[in-house]
Amino acid sequence: MKSLLGALAVVGCLAAATAATTAADLDEVVARGELIWAADQEGGGPHVFPDPANPQRLTGFEVDLAALLAEELGVKPRFQQGQWDRLPLLLGRTADCVINGIELTPERHRDYHCSRPYFAYSLQLLARRDRTLDTFEKLAAPGPEGRWRVGVLTGSAAESIMRSRSDLEVDVIGYDGTIDSLEQVSTGVLDAAVMDDCIFNFYADRFSRLRTVDRPFAGGFYTILTARDTPKLSAAIDAAIGRLIADGRLKSLYDRWDLAGRQQMLMLRDAAEIPVARRKTVGELARDTLPLLLKSAGMTVLLSCLAFPLAVSIGLAVAVGRMYGPMWLRPLLTAYVEVLRGTPLMLQLYAIFFLLPKIGLALPAVVAAVIGLALNYSAYESEIYRAGLKAVPLGQFEASLSLGLSKWQALRHVLVPQAVRIVMPPVTSDFIALFKDTSVCSAITVIELTKRYSVLALSTGRIVELAVVTALLYLCMSWPLALLSRWFERRLERPAAGGATEG
Amino acid sequence: MFTVSSLTKSRAQVRVLDDVSLAGDEGTVTALVGPSGSGKSTLLRCLNGLETFDAGQIAIAGHRLGAGPHAPALLERLRRDVGMVFQQFNLFANLSAVENVALAPRVVLGISTGDARARGLDLLDRVGLRSFADARPATLSGGQQQRVAIARALAMRPRVMLFDEPTSALDPAMTAEVMEVIVELARAGQTMVVVTHDHGFARRAASRVVELAAGRIARQGLAADVL
Repeated sequence: MKSLLGALAVVGCLAAATAATTAADLDEVVARGELIWAADQEGGGPHVFPDPANPQRLTGFEVDLAALLAEELGVKPRFQQGQWDRLPLLLGRTADCVINGIELTPERHRDYHCSRPYFAYSLQLLARRDRTLDTFEKLAAPGPEGRWRVGVLTGSAAESIMRSRSDLEVDVIGYDGTIDSLEQVSTGVLDAAVMDDCIFNFYADRFSRLRTVDRPFAGGFYTILTARDTPKLSAAIDAAIGRLIADGRLKSLYDRWDLAGRQQMLMLRDAAEIPVARRKTVGELARDTLPLLLKSAGMTVLLSCLAFPLAVSIGLAVAVGRMYGPMWLRPLLTAYVEVLRGTPLMLQLYAIFFLLPKIGLALPAVVAAVIGLALNYSAYESEIYRAGLKAVPLGQFEASLSLGLSKWQALRHVLVPQAVRIVMPPVTSDFIALFKDTSVCSAITVIELTKRYSVLALSTGRIVELAVVTALLYLCMSWPLALLSRWFERRLERPAAGGATEG
Repeated sequence: MFTVSSLTKSRAQVRVLDDVSLAGDEGTVTALVGPSGSGKSTLLRCLNGLETFDAGQIAIAGHRLGAGPHAPALLERLRRDVGMVFQQFNLFANLSAVENVALAPRVVLGISTGDARARGLDLLDRVGLRSFADARPATLSGGQQQRVAIARALAMRPRVMLFDEPTSALDPAMTAEVMEVIVELARAGQTMVVVTHDHGFARRAASRVVELAAGRIARQGLAADVL
């Protein structure tokens, strides 16, 4: 039920975002005295990143560009943080424009106003120096371990180009952070990464084990996004970029950032018109997205159904260990529970997926996700089981012992069976919670239903329609769980099922 | 069958048992009487190791307990020979009446499920509850629950049975039915130690009576002499 409400809330917000708001046009920006530009500082250099000398301060060539543009409009720049692949959703809500390495694509042309290009990027294949992948052509045939595993930034042009290349034997894996894929190539989890060459050039020192493979194989332009209903602002930004190109200020900006200003100016001059993508009909939308959404719903079910039984087993063992185990073990288990409960699931998944490979333990994303979910939930389940074990009257434990049962036999035959029954309702409710928490796994490249929705909604521009479908899918899955939980509760209310009322 | 020598136990600076010595032969019924807080339940719980003590010694059914913590293996062996019935019955709420009785023979003695059930049914028959074999504890009256609890303790064929105020939680009618079962056991020659407030019951069932007061033995002797 909660997932339905959640999904409906999402639908509501998105509908509001796409339809009901009126964005601030130029007059308002000037009156306000600030141009609010959105970017993701986590996206990193050389675009927008915290200044290493003073992490409070942002720096990057786009920070400088935003300052120049604001100056041209006669206002001050103000930065707005957002998640990179969702930056366009901020338009008209908290931001006037998006300046953050947004590639000019037919889809973006259709959904937003795209400014004239301000930067030319090239896509570069990157691999480890000591591996066999040394030409782009090698991707056309399977590698030594089967299909090549290639990491890209989710929502980037690198992702859509690599996914559209059916001629290549590659599995494309999307990451939320720009340099996550470089880390994964470095530790050997991925065979290669594809990204804008300027990003790799910026971080090349940090990833000395990596090399560029061949010359860049594709490219395009960065554009500044504005909402479709702010024509004056869009025109003013276009004009400002024109002036910055014409008088050489943009060239010297790029030279300052070591981005080959002269070459940039030549490519910007030759920038070709980008076509506008056609909006898909409902039939095409269903044909293109439904199978993907269903497949991702399957991933959601798979993650939940593998992780939860594990979580419950570990949780029960931890609870028993904390209450009846050897004295030296108890503080360790208490620490286990407190650490897992006291740190975010996202961080734990990140540690398992990105940090374990550094000590030589590289797990596939789905395995890492199942383990992460299971460990995190085991802490909560163990607390529930502890309460359940405490709810069984102590007298029954003493009675078992007085009959000659060992502590473990008493647990196995008397205490645990009763505790399991007592905690059935909260445990079932946790299953529903875990079911929804699987969406966090997108942080480690697992594409489950929420992530798939997010990707499809942004690429097709059909945010509301797909949200409704996604909400219905969640409902179809959580409804049986809710029924199951109610069935357990009814079973518990029957006295014959072993309620502990006595006397 | 059991000997308690100079048992001493303190709890939070209070002597709950102070140099207590007593003994009981095979086939005798010993009643422990005295006011609340006199230490009679604590003494009983020391007899099967549910409580530890600070000094003294216990010999019961061929096992020996010394001061301080007891080894789990020793306790498990001792408790096969020393059954216990509690004031609050403490039936296993997840098991039916017959499963309550059959659990320990099955798990501790390794008797097959079928044989353990047969033993359970026999014992339920003995306490007059055969027709309630498959009932859950929660559906039974207090008196019925206590009779199942007695059958459960008997299932291990203990050499000594300990009763901790077995009728205190029951109304008079149910008290009578439980009492009847205990008196019947006494007649059959079962060695028993019974903590009770009920002097009438002690007079009727006990061969010896031990009266405790403030952790010390106030009087002990034949039931007829003490009461």
